[in-house]
Amino acid sequence: MYSKFKIHHIYLLQIFLVFIVVILLSFKPNKEQILKYNSNVYLKNIPEPSDIVYDSQSNHFYIVSDHGKLFECANDGKIIRKAQKEGLDFEGVEVKDSFIYVSDETPRKVYQYRKSDLSLVKIFSVKCGGALNKAYESITYNYTKNCFVMISQQPAIIVEYDEQFNEISRKKFNIGRDISAARWYNGKFYIISSKDACLYVCEATKYDVQQYYKINVINAEGLAFDANGKMLITSDDLQRLYFFNQLPNIKQ
Amino acid sequence: MKKLLFLAIATIAITNLCNAQFSEFQRSDSSTSGFTFSSENNTMQIGGRVSGYYENRFLKTGYTNLSHNGWAVKDADLDLLGKTNNHFVYEFHISLVDIIAAAATQNTANPANPGFKAAYISYEGWKVHVKFGYDKLPFSQGSISDVYATPMWSHANLYGGDLFSRRDFGLTFNTRLLHNHINLYGGAYSGMGENFYEYGNDASGTFEYIGRIEYCFPGKMKYHPLDEENTQKPTFRIAANIRYEDKTQPTGQTIGVDAPGAYGLRIINGKRMVYGGDFIAKYKGFSYLFETDLMKLTPANATDPLFEGTSNAVNGGYIKAGGFVTGLNYNSDKLRSTFSVNYEDFKTDDLTVSEQSWLYFGYAYKVSGYNSVLKAEYYIPTKEATLTNPLKYSGQIRIGYQIVF
Repeated sequence: MYSKFKIHHIYLLQIFLVFIVVILLSFKPNKEQILKYNSNVYLKNIPEPSDIVYDSQSNHFYIVSDHGKLFECANDGKIIRKAQKEGLDFEGVEVKDSFIYVSDETPRKVYQYRKSDLSLVKIFSVKCGGALNKAYESITYNYTKNCFVMISQQPAIIVEYDEQFNEISRKKFNIGRDISAARWYNGKFYIISSKDACLYVCEATKYDVQQYYKINVINAEGLAFDANGKMLITSDDLQRLYFFNQLPNIKQ
Repeated sequence: MKKLLFLAIATIAITNLCNAQFSEFQRSDSSTSGFTFSSENNTMQIGGRVSGYYENRFLKTGYTNLSHNGWAVKDADLDLLGKTNNHFVYEFHISLVDIIAAAATQNTANPANPGFKAAYISYEGWKVHVKFGYDKLPFSQGSISDVYATPMWSHANLYGGDLFSRRDFGLTFNTRLLHNHINLYGGAYSGMGENFYEYGNDASGTFEYIGRIEYCFPGKMKYHPLDEENTQKPTFRIAANIRYEDKTQPTGQTIGVDAPGAYGLRIINGKRMVYGGDFIAKYKGFSYLFETDLMKLTPANATDPLFEGTSNAVNGGYIKAGGFVTGLNYNSDKLRSTFSVNYEDFKTDDLTVSEQSWLYFGYAYKVSGYNSVLKAEYYIPTKEATLTNPLKYSGQIRIGYQIVF
């Protein structure tokens, strides 16, 4: 015979189990399109690669590391040269004209390097008041609006800057739990959420999401498109570079 | 039961209210993040958390003290974390709740929670990171992981601090090898654990030594028990760790009265070794955890109370204790929910009938991740150690809210 107290527990257990069943039954899974990478390489000498960008002039890539290092790399990820001036926590990289721009997340700075010799030209300060390591993990140039765009990781705020990194505007990006990479490419704006393992394809003016894909990369941190429009993603924790085919046509 | 009914209604109301205030479009509101300040060479973040719950104990017949049927403040923490441009990191983390409780009770309420949670500097400019100061010890996955990032309100008993200390003052070395697959820790500590601030070093003049080795696949893993990333590829970590100290006291010297803890196991007059291993696997929102921690205690004195009055022929000059914890979690961000169930079984010595086991259920409704979350925990003892830890209750429920900023 059950005591009063055991009956209490059986009731509570039953309530708990019914609660779980009700919540699970209310869940309708979405059919999500999953993009799978075709190949990958281990970036042996680039610790925690956090972003990558393609330079059409040299046909090389620039990769930055969480350890505050900037590398120029060949198409297979092999290091060609490295910038002497290091930062603290490089998380985003962009190429524009003769310069490379790097986001140093922790101290909220943007390093401007000269592409020809990887020498440091200038350091800009940018404002981001969130948590220490939840600031700008991305930097890209939006050629649709002619401005730099940096997105804070969490909360995700899209901030537009002029070429002297004076703030132009900011707006919340309400989709995705965090933002770890962004890239303007061919009139579209591509954003990666590492936590959601998701690639969002946005129009490049208001950053409204037009399409999204799940990606099978753990800790996706960097995003680039090569000369053929093929997508590359870096993973910092796994220290790998993933190669994808071209994205499927985007539904308008 | 009226209180529970009231609480259930209030919970539903709060949840709906929260939905209204923190809609899908405001889930990443900046108020749930830390505040960061930068100078030319220094960046510092101010963060913390505030939480509280309602708890209800189901008392056994004959017990009338309802002091655990009411409100409780869990956290009022303040955390300063800074980095310098020359690769130094420093942290200063205090629990205002614990400090006030310690001050109001002359540190008798909970001596193992003095209010300091971290006070250290570390250098991360080398391949081997060096940390000096007071912080969590690199021992036990369950201890290292933050409980606030789970549906539970407290750690399991095995690694909750009663059997071995979770924090201490000392020197820690840490490095990663083999493409970040291997993570190594080693360090020397005071051995006084959380009681370091109350007593300082003990009279033995010796350290406690700790070592931990982890293998992670496919790469580096954080100490987070849940699969909030909804990992599309299976990931796991397996680890082994050990800690050893010889705190045999010089003649006439004793260890501070609070330091050994509720079971007398956290530090002893003699030799003490704790060893164990842990495992975590994550895949598509599910995470499975297992941990075992075992202890061998060799008191210096044959009449030590830990021997429970047994002769050397019976006890062999040592006592064994420890056990295991296993758990399964499912996290769904579409449901904004996490479901957890944990089970633990452990002994506080092998000379008496001291085995106890507990079953824990947890649920979290995430308004904005674990930065703003409603948590409910319900646990019951499935085996009670009536001799060493007699309980006045047969179960407990806690429902509350947590803000991390």
